Amino acid sequence: MADTRAPEVDPKLLEILVCPVTKTTLRYDRERQELISDKARLAFPIRDGIPIMLADEARPLDDE
Amino acid sequence: MMRAMQKASTMLIFDRKLHAQRRARAAAGFEAHDFLLRRVVEEFADRLMAVNRNFPLALDLGSHVGALTHAELPTGKIGTVVATDLSPAMVARGKGLRLAADEEHLPFHDGSFDLIASALSLHWTNDLPGALIQIRRALVPDGLFLGAIFGGDTLTELRQSLTEAEIELEGGLSPRVSPFVELRDMGSLLQRAGFALPVVDADRIRVRYANALKLMAELRGMGETNALIERRRTPLRRGTLIRAAEIYQQKFGLPDGRVQATFEIIFMTGWSPHESQQKPLKPGSAKMRLAEALRSNAKPQRD
Repeated sequence: MADTRAPEVDPKLLEILVCPVTKTTLRYDRERQELISDKARLAFPIRDGIPIMLADEARPLDDE
Repeated sequence: MMRAMQKASTMLIFDRKLHAQRRARAAAGFEAHDFLLRRVVEEFADRLMAVNRNFPLALDLGSHVGALTHAELPTGKIGTVVATDLSPAMVARGKGLRLAADEEHLPFHDGSFDLIASALSLHWTNDLPGALIQIRRALVPDGLFLGAIFGGDTLTELRQSLTEAEIELEGGLSPRVSPFVELRDMGSLLQRAGFALPVVDADRIRVRYANALKLMAELRGMGETNALIERRRTPLRRGTLIRAAEIYQQKFGLPDGRVQATFEIIFMTGWSPHESQQKPLKPGSAKMRLAEALRSNAKPQRD
């Protein structure tokens, strides 16, 4: 069932991207296609291989 | 706390979310309204031609549907282009390496790019100095920034016509056209943001339209319509709009029956600082007295 057809984000982009809010390093969650900022507690979506680095569009991480 | 809130409210001029929506709505048909952007990118290309340098990684900041990637840029000078836009709908229409990003909150490591170009997007930032500082930091040392924004004379005819119509028919006025940065402020802004060798100049473009309403339709197509926070929430009344178009025709009509609209584009060039760049000497570091220099200069003239 794994949907692997969505284009992957280019590794070159991953190298230069940081969290727009805290400017800290991001974690790439390949499964969910998200870039996670642990410091800002935000997950930025990747749509069709395009990272959406806007705080407004990010998913807040719930604190477990 | 109160003071902080007041400060924040005075600094926010543009509704960025609304502007993102305007861009998103303009995305699908953008190419029909991109003539100013093309002109800017041609100018960027000329300036890049004049620089004896290669730029392996470039950022096209606020690229709309991809200003740099669509343009005829000097071959071989630019390697890879990364394009951003505030509107995901705009970037989705581009090609190559892309992401959605806010010019006020850049998501890049310091020292990522050899070149950052931004064509007709930064005039919508609330904090232009802050955006310029982030741009400078995202450049490698001795990296180049090329920027273009709309300047203070842009749409002066439309501004005057709307103001007059509103005063006449509604007994008051509300800002309908964005405030723009003045050319004389830009140089010091670049300097304050830490750019070396800043250069600023302006280009004035006069465009003809069948009438003022056609001009307004074009602005919508560009995604450039009013996104001021202090704008009046009610849309412009139909009567006021028609009156503004009449005033526009009377005051700025051309002999052929069409009307003229002015766009002022401010171009900025700046380098992120580096040891190798020319700079003024420190005061007191001269190796020769001024008087001596003048005397030695004067001598050959007598021969």
